[in-house]
Amino acid sequence: MADFYSFPNKGSQGILDTGEYGVKDIEQVRERAEVKRGQMDLPFFAMTLVILTIGLIMVFSASFARAYYESGNPAYVFVRQFIFSVSGVAIMLIASRIKPTFFRRYSFWLLVFSIGLLVLVPIIGEESGGAKRWIDLKITGFQPSEIAKLAVVLSFASMICIYKDKMKTFRYGVLPFVLIIGIIVGLLILEPHLSASVIIIALGGIMMFVGGTRLRWFAIVAIFVALAAVVLLSNFDYASGRIAAWRDPLSQKLTGGWQIVQSLYAVGSGGLLGLGLGQGRQKHLYLPEEHNDFIFAVVCEELGFIGAALILILFAILILRGFWLALRARDRFGSLVITGLTSLLALQVFLNVAVVTNLIPCTGISLPFFSSGGTALWLQMLEMGIILSISREIKDK
Amino acid sequence: MDVAGKKTNKLKPNRQIIRRTLFLMIVCGILSFVVLLFQLYKIQILEHSKWESEAIEQQVRETVINASRGTIYDTNMKILAMSATVDTVFISPIEMLKYEEDPSLIASGLSEILGVSYESIMEKWEDTKSWYKTVAVKIEQEVSDKVREFKNEHKLKSVHIVEDTKRYYPYSSLASQVIGFVGIDNKGLEGVEAVYEKYLRGLNGRIVRATSSEGTDMLFNKYEDYFDAVEGNALVLTLDTTIQYYLEKHIEQAINDYMVQNGAVGIVMDVNTGAVLAMCTLPDYDLNNYLELNDAAKVELEEQGLEGDAYNAALTEALQNQWRNRSISDTYEPGSTFKIITLASCLEEGVVNPDTDFYCKGSIDVKGRKGPLHCWRHAGHGSQNLVSATQHSCNVAFTTMGLMLGADKFYEYVRSFGFMDSTGIDLNGEGKSIWWPDSQFKNPDNLSSLAVASFGQTFNITPLQLISAVSAVANGGYLMEPYVVKQIVSPEGEILLSREPRVIRQVISEETSARVCEILESVVGSKEGTGKNAYVEGYRIAGKTGTSEDVGQMTDEYIVSFVGFAPADDPKIAVLVLLDNPSPDSGIPISGGFMAAPVVGNIFSDVLPYMGVEPVYSEDNSKKADITLPGVKNMSVEEAKEKLKALGFKVQIEGGGDTVIDQIPIANVNVAAGSTIILYTETGRPTNLVTVPDLFDMSYSKARETLEQAGLYIRSSGVIPSGSNTIVVARQSIEKGNEVSIGSVIEVTLIDRDQSIIETA
Repeated sequence: MADFYSFPNKGSQGILDTGEYGVKDIEQVRERAEVKRGQMDLPFFAMTLVILTIGLIMVFSASFARAYYESGNPAYVFVRQFIFSVSGVAIMLIASRIKPTFFRRYSFWLLVFSIGLLVLVPIIGEESGGAKRWIDLKITGFQPSEIAKLAVVLSFASMICIYKDKMKTFRYGVLPFVLIIGIIVGLLILEPHLSASVIIIALGGIMMFVGGTRLRWFAIVAIFVALAAVVLLSNFDYASGRIAAWRDPLSQKLTGGWQIVQSLYAVGSGGLLGLGLGQGRQKHLYLPEEHNDFIFAVVCEELGFIGAALILILFAILILRGFWLALRARDRFGSLVITGLTSLLALQVFLNVAVVTNLIPCTGISLPFFSSGGTALWLQMLEMGIILSISREIKDK
Repeated sequence: MDVAGKKTNKLKPNRQIIRRTLFLMIVCGILSFVVLLFQLYKIQILEHSKWESEAIEQQVRETVINASRGTIYDTNMKILAMSATVDTVFISPIEMLKYEEDPSLIASGLSEILGVSYESIMEKWEDTKSWYKTVAVKIEQEVSDKVREFKNEHKLKSVHIVEDTKRYYPYSSLASQVIGFVGIDNKGLEGVEAVYEKYLRGLNGRIVRATSSEGTDMLFNKYEDYFDAVEGNALVLTLDTTIQYYLEKHIEQAINDYMVQNGAVGIVMDVNTGAVLAMCTLPDYDLNNYLELNDAAKVELEEQGLEGDAYNAALTEALQNQWRNRSISDTYEPGSTFKIITLASCLEEGVVNPDTDFYCKGSIDVKGRKGPLHCWRHAGHGSQNLVSATQHSCNVAFTTMGLMLGADKFYEYVRSFGFMDSTGIDLNGEGKSIWWPDSQFKNPDNLSSLAVASFGQTFNITPLQLISAVSAVANGGYLMEPYVVKQIVSPEGEILLSREPRVIRQVISEETSARVCEILESVVGSKEGTGKNAYVEGYRIAGKTGTSEDVGQMTDEYIVSFVGFAPADDPKIAVLVLLDNPSPDSGIPISGGFMAAPVVGNIFSDVLPYMGVEPVYSEDNSKKADITLPGVKNMSVEEAKEKLKALGFKVQIEGGGDTVIDQIPIANVNVAAGSTIILYTETGRPTNLVTVPDLFDMSYSKARETLEQAGLYIRSSGVIPSGSNTIVVARQSIEKGNEVSIGSVIEVTLIDRDQSIIETA
């Protein structure tokens, strides 16, 4: 029993051993160990608020035109987003006070819950644009795929902590993860929801990669994914059109390329310094989804290359700070969760900006903190809160 | 602690996790952003202008403000063409859907006001992606006001009215082929309207607005720019509407009188400057309805009985035909009118002089030609000098002259007189003349081409080339570049461009010119002259007749023409009239001397006084045909009698009073000398009506007698009446069968039917 009470020396961090025991035992041990929870990481918290505030301003700038043309109230979208932002900050602060063990304890159930929701989507989901991705909650809608992303991070982190050294084997290090990813992606493809599938696969892969899965399995999976991608792309009837629109958007302007052409008009006409905040023209009903998926195009148009680059650099700083926290995390679970959530953030930012700038074919990915949307923002803030919660256990920040 | 240390590694992130996390940190936190920043740099900085211009193109909407087109004036600043503001009505199906307006209500309202069918408007609504469907173009303001009223009454947002301009031609068909017209887009399509398009059109204004994709103004982001329209410049033509009117009137008369089948061409030119004072192609068309065929073409088209595409093709061809300015674009064989050029060239080269004798036995043998070349008068003209040979229009004499001049020199003069080049007139569509190639024309072994060219056959030129060359002959030898626009004037009235007459070259000397003028005057003025029907009392007119076969037609179709200028001693204007295919059924022999010469004479008799050229009558009144009758009312009978007798009138007195109460004919009319004037001393003159008799083809004395018997008087125009039986009435001013007051004066146009001047070659 001595092992359970072998406290760390000064200088070395967290040292509780789970030994051969299961999750529950570890938690009991940890609780008893009374891990000291300190301040949350202030730089990460501050960066989150800064980006959230800028995003809120941009939501107003991007949305007032359409809001006015369609509802007569230019602040319609902004007010909603403001309410979600304020409540989102509250969610983040609350989450930052919840111990990581809570998230670990319920991670498996969260995974089951999210898969359950994904099963429900085709049954009770709202159809929009030929796909069922949303569940209507009356006040706002939400996409179960967003919960699935969080569930994958938390449950994969838990599983990696349990399998530990067995991660090197196929049976533990590959099979269960791939099965879970397969189930989720299978359900997403039913919707169909290509971008969420891509993110889940990438996210699962990242977790396995960090968790210690042998690289050779990635090579095999990469081949499998590539094959799957080819099959998928050739079967998705809209995908081939999107590929064409991606390679030469102007030639497809009136068909599949409309969105991306309008986005490029906005991005390109921003130039170095932009047209000025609020002065954008593309949002006047030319650019679709101007306060959602294409909000970054409005940023580029109004704030120019300088403004857009600054915002990307803010994101980069937040992400780097996230990884820094992961490296400093007190335990493996915390480290893995932060890595997963930060990677998820990075993935979303990269894919969103890549779509807006036509680096990759057009697909619906929102920009964290910027794209308007209630539950997605709440979840985003919850994820930030989880990172902050873990950061409380880091001593020397 | 060793054990604890080992176990610690199992909970802590191990080295592998840290390594892989670091790797991820670099990929997610740095590399991915480098990629994004590079892509942003590429689009926002490198491709900035490309995307910006494309974006602006879609964001900005332009409304065009049509510039008012410049006015076209004649030489006396009478308006020939002007623009007025009109409106165009269009509907917007997109807005109709957006504002949920009732399409059938709008369609029925508009169809009622605009006279457009209800169904056609309903069809336009079906293009639901359209912003702009035109319902009616160029409607008058009073009609568009009704549309405005309708629009306001129902608060319609999908009905729009925009300003446009419309071209009006106050003289409708006058000089139509010269002035030309503009199309629906206000762009000049024909004539001066097309040639001077860039001066006339002005600069369209624009309203540039930034709009949302739905076309409404951008919210909080108003951007509007206004560029004023600049009115086009005005043109002042050399055309004179009065002269143009005379030209068209007399040619139209000739078309009717001689039953001319293929239309006619006429040009009046200022011989000293090359300015075109009048130019017409008949039948013409109404410039205000240029898409409507003139009556002659309409009848012809209907007679073909075509349908569908064939009909449309024929209609298009007929329209293009009526728009064609044949004075400059069609070529023809000039016939004897070209003898002027042969004459002038030979005199200039000195190969002949006015006393050179020619003998015409009716034909001449030409080297290389099979059989003799006949003169139009097969009997021959006998012995004649140069002057009489010209008066006779003797082909044998002119063939001789051409052979004397030689092919090289002949072509040199032809080229020098401008017959091988475009004249350079500021109108589109000048036709190209057709000449024998040098090798054939200058073949020393075969002179037949030269021989026939000497009297104007076997080549084709445009009427404008001929009158330009004849003007050069008349004005002292200077070939002028013909033109129709003399000034370009800005909307503010500033003269931007003033055309100076351009001398292309001097072709013959002033002495030669004077000699040719003299000889040509005798063609009209002498008793033997083939052109004597162009004579106008009091004026010295020079000219030459022409009769030629219509080239390319295998039928017996002739072009009769006359080119003349006046005054012969100081030429001011030249006139060319060309009648294409007059009908032998008209009863008048087909000949330039009979048909075209009187037309030119009539034109001169109107135009010369208008231009302020004073007639010079011989002093002896007895030689003058008509005298102005003075008023003798309130004079004593004796006094009146004396006054009238002094003028050569006969007097008849009615009633027994002492003073003249009334007279027949009324005072100040021109009436034939020697007419019997009736003076009333007790009652006023009778006012009963008499029927005008048919005078056609009567000799002058017979006509005078016939009129006197009917209680009417005579006066004449055209050839001077003499005892000759060949001088007959060609036309009377009041048609037979009309009722007129007793004592009215009927004017007869006389023509000399001297068979010896009927030239048929």
